[in-house]
Amino acid sequence: MLRFEKREKISVQLRILIPLISILLGVLVGGIAVMFSHVNPLTVYKAIFIGAFGSTYVFSETIVVAIPLLLISVGLILVFKMNYWNIGAYGQYIIGAIFGTYFALNSAETMSRPILLTVMCIAGIVGGALWALIPATLKAYWKVNEVISTILLNYIALYILKFLMYGPWRNPQNFGFPLTKTFDLNAQLPKLVMRTRIHLGLIFGIIMAIIIWIIIKKTKFGYEIRVIGENEIAARYTGINIEKNITIAMIISGGLAGLAGMVQISGIIHMLQIEINPDYGYTAIIVAWLSGLNPLTAMIVSFFLGGLFVGASQIQITMKVPIGIVGLIESSILFFLLGGVILTNYKLYYKGRKII
Amino acid sequence: MSEVILQAKNITKHFPGVLANDNINFDLRKGEIHTFLGENGAGKTTLMNILDGIYYPDGGEIYLDGKRVDINSPLEATKNGIGMIHQHFMLVDTLTVLENVVLGLQSQGFYLNKKEIAKRIEEISKNYNLDINPYVKIWQLSVGEQQRVEIIKALFKGAKILILDEPTAVLTPQESNTLFKILKRMAREDKSIIFISHKLDEVMKISDRITVLRKGKLAGTVNTKEINQKELAKMMVGREVLFKLDRKPLNRKVEILKIENLETYNDKGIKILKGINLTIHGGEIFGLAGVSGNGQKELAEVIVGLRRATRGKVCIKGEDVTNFHPKVITKEGTNYIPPDRLKVGVVPNLSSVENAILRRYDRKPISRGIFLDYEEADKYTRELIKQFNIVVPRENAPVKFLSGGNLQKLILAREIKEEPALLIAVHPSRGLDVGATEFIRKKLLEERDKGVAILLISEDLEEVLMISDRIGVIYEGEIVGIVDIDLANINKIGLMMAGVHKNPLVKGE
Amino acid sequence: MRPDAYSIIIILLTATVESGTILLFPIIGEIFTQRSGILNLGIEGMMIIGALAGFATAFITGKIYLAFFMGMLAGGLASLIHAFISITLRGNQVVSGLALTIFGLGVTNFYGQKFVNLQLAHTLPKVIIPGLSRIPFFGPILFKQDYIVYLSYILVIVTWFILYKTKVGVHLRAVGQNAEAADAMGVDVYKVRYFWTFFGGLMAGAGGAYLTLGYTPFWLDSITAGRGWVAIALVIFAMWNPLYAFVGAYLFGGINALQFQLQAIGTTIPSSLLSMQPYFLTFILIIVATLLVKAKHIGVPKELGIPYAREEK
Repeated sequence: MLRFEKREKISVQLRILIPLISILLGVLVGGIAVMFSHVNPLTVYKAIFIGAFGSTYVFSETIVVAIPLLLISVGLILVFKMNYWNIGAYGQYIIGAIFGTYFALNSAETMSRPILLTVMCIAGIVGGALWALIPATLKAYWKVNEVISTILLNYIALYILKFLMYGPWRNPQNFGFPLTKTFDLNAQLPKLVMRTRIHLGLIFGIIMAIIIWIIIKKTKFGYEIRVIGENEIAARYTGINIEKNITIAMIISGGLAGLAGMVQISGIIHMLQIEINPDYGYTAIIVAWLSGLNPLTAMIVSFFLGGLFVGASQIQITMKVPIGIVGLIESSILFFLLGGVILTNYKLYYKGRKII
Repeated sequence: MSEVILQAKNITKHFPGVLANDNINFDLRKGEIHTFLGENGAGKTTLMNILDGIYYPDGGEIYLDGKRVDINSPLEATKNGIGMIHQHFMLVDTLTVLENVVLGLQSQGFYLNKKEIAKRIEEISKNYNLDINPYVKIWQLSVGEQQRVEIIKALFKGAKILILDEPTAVLTPQESNTLFKILKRMAREDKSIIFISHKLDEVMKISDRITVLRKGKLAGTVNTKEINQKELAKMMVGREVLFKLDRKPLNRKVEILKIENLETYNDKGIKILKGINLTIHGGEIFGLAGVSGNGQKELAEVIVGLRRATRGKVCIKGEDVTNFHPKVITKEGTNYIPPDRLKVGVVPNLSSVENAILRRYDRKPISRGIFLDYEEADKYTRELIKQFNIVVPRENAPVKFLSGGNLQKLILAREIKEEPALLIAVHPSRGLDVGATEFIRKKLLEERDKGVAILLISEDLEEVLMISDRIGVIYEGEIVGIVDIDLANINKIGLMMAGVHKNPLVKGE
Repeated sequence: MRPDAYSIIIILLTATVESGTILLFPIIGEIFTQRSGILNLGIEGMMIIGALAGFATAFITGKIYLAFFMGMLAGGLASLIHAFISITLRGNQVVSGLALTIFGLGVTNFYGQKFVNLQLAHTLPKVIIPGLSRIPFFGPILFKQDYIVYLSYILVIVTWFILYKTKVGVHLRAVGQNAEAADAMGVDVYKVRYFWTFFGGLMAGAGGAYLTLGYTPFWLDSITAGRGWVAIALVIFAMWNPLYAFVGAYLFGGINALQFQLQAIGTTIPSSLLSMQPYFLTFILIIVATLLVKAKHIGVPKELGIPYAREEK
């Protein structure tokens, strides 16, 4: 009944159309879900749009959310290109935040702002990189499945955070709430735009996106990664050291996730607490995939998914639409994209007649 | 003998660019062992797949017991009592014999009556001396035993006609003898057997009649008793006038490749190289002829470092490089044109440029620090394209969309441009059209004239004869003969390829 | 003090079984899904969908076994999305499974609002099995449970039987180990994969439903707390054999119950470190399991994650 036949050449039009149609269809699914809750989907989407882009302030908030998404997703793009599944950005983010916090709490008096922030950034990168090194090494030496190991490490990282928050790092002046003291100004990333919360992290994000793009397209390392991802056998024959490349890529990916964590607590939250938005680690996976594993496109996609989140957070309050709508829409878009990819390489026949 | 059980009339089958079967006629008698004999590409596989329902013929009919039948699928072939034992076994290694037999069986219900099935398997096993324990897991069996499981599967489903595709390709001599005994017994019990082979001594040993195919056509059907190996070889290989390419006189230089007593095993764990000795000098093309499956692929892989040698030495330019990493061997001046282009030779989803630089991306001028200089890469690729007449449909299109010929030219170009001292080319013109084939052969001759040592491994005897300076024949993991091209006698070579004349007439080296 | 220690152990082990049962269903489900060659990482999503569906049905209708069934069914239906993408459309199974998890979490957050913090009036009643429950030591632990737990016992045995003693099991194992051979022998590879992926969904939904119907009979966002991921890890630990599924399930359940108890009676060990232990243990377990499974004859189904397409020659 349903039959697929290989194409003679990749359909370029479909390559662009399919992601766009997936977005449309995903949004449609969200709309249908909303209808079941007796709310007008058009009102909801309009409200989301306004809530994300309607004023300068919310626009800036969208950018604020996009920053960590961008940082994490470009790192993920690097490892995903090799078919290595780092699902552990969540944990790497947390550990990066923790490492950064250490210096924020202990060195605020002794270091000047630029130095402290630099140290914190490095700490964040190192923290995330180390946390990523664990599953990378396990895979390289013992072939342990990285999907499971990275996810379990996510939970372990969360509990480490909780331990610190309820224990040694809890601010005694905070009535027992699991928070550290607010960071000194020294430890806070400077703002980029007045009257918004957009901080220096934006620059990091854009720079890293470009750097990762350069790495993939123009360096030998990026070339080797692409060869590994597309044909491992040919890669081995050419003499490419696959284990080394996985390790390096994971260090970068974990480092970026750690940096994202550090940047979030230093630039936005100004302290360490239990809720530091580590879910960005999972959303970034969606960003990476929706960007077609292209770091430059990731800038746009992070922005829009950031907008979706910000807008939906607004209507959560104003229209009582639960925040779950975000996950619903994102995953629906992803489903359509995953299912549609086959059409770029295969023609679709139904009962003998060609459909696409 | 007895009555005809299967008859094929005027079977014709086309594939794009090639006429695989051209009006083949043959018949199979009840209780006989009938061999299809021929080289690679002769059309045996196609004919066999038609009988098994995998292909449908473009022309011709098949009659079973006098009645016309249409075999549209392997399932229908089974229903018609035809059982096929492929070279590539269809067995699940983690399951037992019994479970493999049961796989797909229509007659079984939900619960497996293991005792009953086992009993029947044991009956069949005993009947034909197959000696298989139904409860053993496939991975625990030797290759010969696994093959017998395939036979049991066919018999269990009521096969009256068995087709075996090059069954001894994976067997030791002893296992082959065991198989022959079993087959002869089956024939006595009124099973009819079609046996596909290229090995003359076996064919003489086991068949009642032989049908010889050559380049898609029927060369003839003979009674084994009435023919000898020499005549068979002639039928197989034919006596065509080979047009020779213009070749400069041989200017042999220093010894480049020296292989001593090389042994290794194939992926199935069988010893596939049993002591190879070979020397190749710069400026000569050594053509290794042989039907595929006799160890050539593995020989190439050992030389370039893709497979471990278990014994023996490989020396390139005087240095022992046995079991060195492929990258090192490449650096030593060896380049390789692999037999399966898409799997090993290229990265299908990357562009032509990215594939072209696969050997030199980490060297200047394409490598610049940590960066790749794509301008240089483009320049290099354009050079390759010009020099080798490669047709690239669109600039950055994934290389998998190139035609076979152009893909091979790209690989050839890339390897040759590295200016190797030793070039190993395996089946370089397999599946290519005439134009591309001629181009590649010309290029190989050019390299030879430049002083490169070339090991040409090909199952196309015509190709080997056309451009080699010396010809060796590989059979069952050994070099059974080496001759200078001027003294090459095509019939003798055909015989060697088919396993006769194991004591070589070695001229040259 | 001895009677006290004894009863504490009994309580702990009983809680172990209950906690383990939540995992046992999805572990078995995913064992069978993976055996067919499909990797479904969406268990967390299917579990939470089952948890909500079960809870909501129980809350609205009061019929607890109907609720369990609805939870199962919801999980099964969710799995079909992944099945369609992975099997027919040959999409990337890792990302599809992740999307399913995100979908599940999103959907249940969205529709679960009105149930947050509500509690079920009637939860799964314990049913004491006469006779068997009198076996010393094990009796009270294993046979003073609810029907769902008993169902899980039967499930382990029945699925083991199906896998190793029936034709269905042979087909399943063949499809996951050598899809080409299975196809050549006339087995419908697609049908087999759809069926067992759906089964996996049913089982994940069952685990989730048991969570909200028996173990913690109220509704909270993300009440599954990552158990879906643990289940996937424990599939490796069970070496794809349903009989070993309960080892991992009860180990996790036991550590979980233990750290709960410790937190309840108050220890000096910080509760977050205690809560970490089950996940840490699982982490160690998969490393161990991966090393053990090096021998290729008890191992990952060879076709896992690889879409099947009968190549036209």
